[in-house]
Amino acid sequence: MNVVDTLDLELLHETVRRALERGGDFAEVFVEERDTLSMRKEDGRIDQVAGGREAGFGVRLCVGDRTYYAHSDEIDEESLGRAATTVAAALERGDAGVAQRLTTLRTDRGRHPVVVPPETVAIERKRALLDAGDDAARSAGERIAQVTVAYGEGRRQVLVVNSLGDAVRDDRTRVRLIAHVVARRDDVIQTGYDSIGGSTGFELLDEETAGTVAAAAADKALAMLSARPAPAGVMPVVLANGFGGVLFHEACGHGLEADTIVKGASIYAGKMGESVAAPIVDAYDDGGLANGWGSAAFDDEGVPTQRTKVIDGGRLCGYLYDRLHAGRLGARPSGNGRRQSFRHIPLPRMTTTYIGPGDSTPDEIIGATERGFFARSLAGGQVEPASGAFVFGVAEGYLIENGRVTTPLRGATLIGSGIEILNRIDMVASDMEIRTGMCGKDGQSVPVGTGQPTLRIAEMTIGGTA
Amino acid sequence: MRGPGEGSSVSDRTGTPACVDLGALEVLVERAVAAGADDAEVFGQRSVSRRIKVYGGEVEQLTQASRSGLGVRVRRDGAIGYAYTSDMSDDSLDDVVARALAHAAATDADEDAMLADAPDEYAGVELYDPRLEDLSVEEKIGLAVTAERAALDHDPRVKLVEDTIYADGDAEIALVSSRGVRGTYRESDCYVFLYVLAEEDDAVETGIAYSVGRDPAALDAEGCGEKAAARACRLLGARPCPSFRGTAVLEPYVAASVLTVLGAALTADAVQKGRSLFAPLEGRKVASSLVTLVDDGIHPEGLASAPFDGEGTPCGRTPLITDGILQGFLYDVRTGHRAGRPSTGNGHRGSYQSTPSVQPSNLVLAGSSTAADEVVAAVEKGVLVTDAVGVHSGANPVSGEFSVGISGLLIEGGRLTRPLREVTLAGDLLSMLRGIVALGDDAEWVPSGSVLVPTVAIEDMSVAGS
Repeated sequence: MNVVDTLDLELLHETVRRALERGGDFAEVFVEERDTLSMRKEDGRIDQVAGGREAGFGVRLCVGDRTYYAHSDEIDEESLGRAATTVAAALERGDAGVAQRLTTLRTDRGRHPVVVPPETVAIERKRALLDAGDDAARSAGERIAQVTVAYGEGRRQVLVVNSLGDAVRDDRTRVRLIAHVVARRDDVIQTGYDSIGGSTGFELLDEETAGTVAAAAADKALAMLSARPAPAGVMPVVLANGFGGVLFHEACGHGLEADTIVKGASIYAGKMGESVAAPIVDAYDDGGLANGWGSAAFDDEGVPTQRTKVIDGGRLCGYLYDRLHAGRLGARPSGNGRRQSFRHIPLPRMTTTYIGPGDSTPDEIIGATERGFFARSLAGGQVEPASGAFVFGVAEGYLIENGRVTTPLRGATLIGSGIEILNRIDMVASDMEIRTGMCGKDGQSVPVGTGQPTLRIAEMTIGGTA
Repeated sequence: MRGPGEGSSVSDRTGTPACVDLGALEVLVERAVAAGADDAEVFGQRSVSRRIKVYGGEVEQLTQASRSGLGVRVRRDGAIGYAYTSDMSDDSLDDVVARALAHAAATDADEDAMLADAPDEYAGVELYDPRLEDLSVEEKIGLAVTAERAALDHDPRVKLVEDTIYADGDAEIALVSSRGVRGTYRESDCYVFLYVLAEEDDAVETGIAYSVGRDPAALDAEGCGEKAAARACRLLGARPCPSFRGTAVLEPYVAASVLTVLGAALTADAVQKGRSLFAPLEGRKVASSLVTLVDDGIHPEGLASAPFDGEGTPCGRTPLITDGILQGFLYDVRTGHRAGRPSTGNGHRGSYQSTPSVQPSNLVLAGSSTAADEVVAAVEKGVLVTDAVGVHSGANPVSGEFSVGISGLLIEGGRLTRPLREVTLAGDLLSMLRGIVALGDDAEWVPSGSVLVPTVAIEDMSVAGS
């Protein structure tokens, strides 16, 4: 049953008008119905299976740079009216704000096709994924100490009606599988992590895929068991494709989100058209990437998602906007207004952010590096948003000697700042790969893709423990 | 407050939403049992909360959150399954029961996964004040504006009130199970919070204050504004000081954040997962004889008080530390069963979407009859700590070691001589508890974590300055 489809658009538009009763620049009703399932196997046992359905709405009123918001998980005429009255009460009495006439409902079905809706798949098949992942990781040897495999699926149906007269409906299905493995040899404990996911149906996953993901996580943990403490120093760093993109997301991407630009809290503010990276670097944010984990047909303000080039040949050429901050900066919204759920206001957020492919091969890049550090996957990090200065842990790292990847190294950290490392990129491969993640900001978590091809940073500071 | 098996006047009110109507929940429990559950439990929630932030006399942000829904837990063949819904239609209720059973079937059996048994009775605590409903949104905005004005008028050096927040909540909870649990309650709470910046000679200092109650009439908005302003202004002129060892006198707000770290380490979940340094110390002396700490789930003023927890176990008073001796830990049904102990009524439910987890309710540290300024007067050399940054992130819950940045005033010869900056306080939780030499009579409720705590003096602390 779809609550979203049974709602009267005129009633929602009436709610928008009531929110604007005492004035305001913009008002909106966001309706959402979400249906989720999560399953986990840990310590050889399926110990958590939970999920549910919730439907609700939020009414937003914007006046200048102020935002008033009321949300409820009861969707009926009375609740809608009460929410509209509540946000309007934040203003002194004044002339009513303008609401444009409602236009025809827009949808864009089929942009991220779902072949097998996960809710139609028997739970036993989902259990089988967890079992296959658990088996694959444990078969990697006796040094595997703990395996966690988790499966998640979700469907979000959203409807946006606003005072610009827009009425937009979007239907999003996502599935994801993650594996986390702990390996132990005597007193040494190492962990490995891998995942796969997308805005797609159950066709993305089968037992073989689950096994591959979990085995990759196990391999990482095992490889690091024999790691030596990393040396500290300045050297060339080769960042592997896929997970390496986390660095671009954290150290650069957040500074391109328009709210940080408006607040003056970004090093990229006022630098449009200027050089911020080596000429070899192109970078994108693509909310429309087909079946991408961070993708949708429309953002959570009803704006169609798009591919935005943010860096062109090293020059800054785009920011990521929601409606509010696009208005403040005199730009067009770029489809980056995203929210965790109807209980949250939209913020400018990344979708799938990546550095574009180059001409080299990964082998050429490693081969051209006499002595350096190869970071295959990164752990968490800290970024100072205003300057882009970061410290990142390396989950899986190796020494490069005479053009070959050699000894595994543990305890390494990458230290630098966003613009500094972008300017030092001197080789980019063609092996573009996107990875899935969850990004937190202002207490809201949204799915994002991060990615890049294998690339080399000519010089970077490694913090080591050796 | 209703005892088990008693009728409820709350649910008999006309217009009670189905999600907190005991009769409706009983029917749902029966449906689950009829559908094959060995045991079933339904947790219903309806709540409305508001948060109003004013700036410069006007509303900068206003959020109203309405939540209503229910969660079903079923136990079948030794496994628990969970599902939730916000939709009270008949089809949806059938669906949520079917899902909970399917989730249980997909979960592996766990002998510790139990539902709570019916209690003898629930304590009567008055948690709801209907006067909360009498106040309009405009009047609540007025309270925040009054608090902000009072802070600005208190001292010309108050340059900015960064945050002035009024927040309130009104919630009804109902719980029914096939094991005989049957209860409902309603609670209200509200608070005013200010974060004030004072400036002198280009140096900025900050001060916070709360006022907490069950209805707005209990709040002292004006006093709260003045208090936050005074707390900021008394730090103006702060200078670094040389390092020394001495007595740290923690004001209630600072002591509260230490207690929340302590409370988390005293949950059975932390103990059983090897994340608590207190695991081997039950029955041992862990603190100075002055220390008596109780988890009081039925304190009339405590914002975390309730007649029963999220599993239907009666809330009560659980002694954690008595005269310095560690008495035990906090349990829910599952961790209690694993340890062979009864639940202490600490199975916390964040919302109808989440399953229970062990958490402290109200942590109450007993005070003394000594005035706070007498506590300071007894200190030869030390620091009055008025604010601490990073207690949660700076503390290691396993080792108890921490290092935090503090603001405060130097104590010399029993007198407050001058404000300090660039000072850190380092130590470990056990040494701190053992080093407590005095407690004040000024116990105050701090809403983040719900802690009632007085001024606490700890001797022989390492104060690191320049």
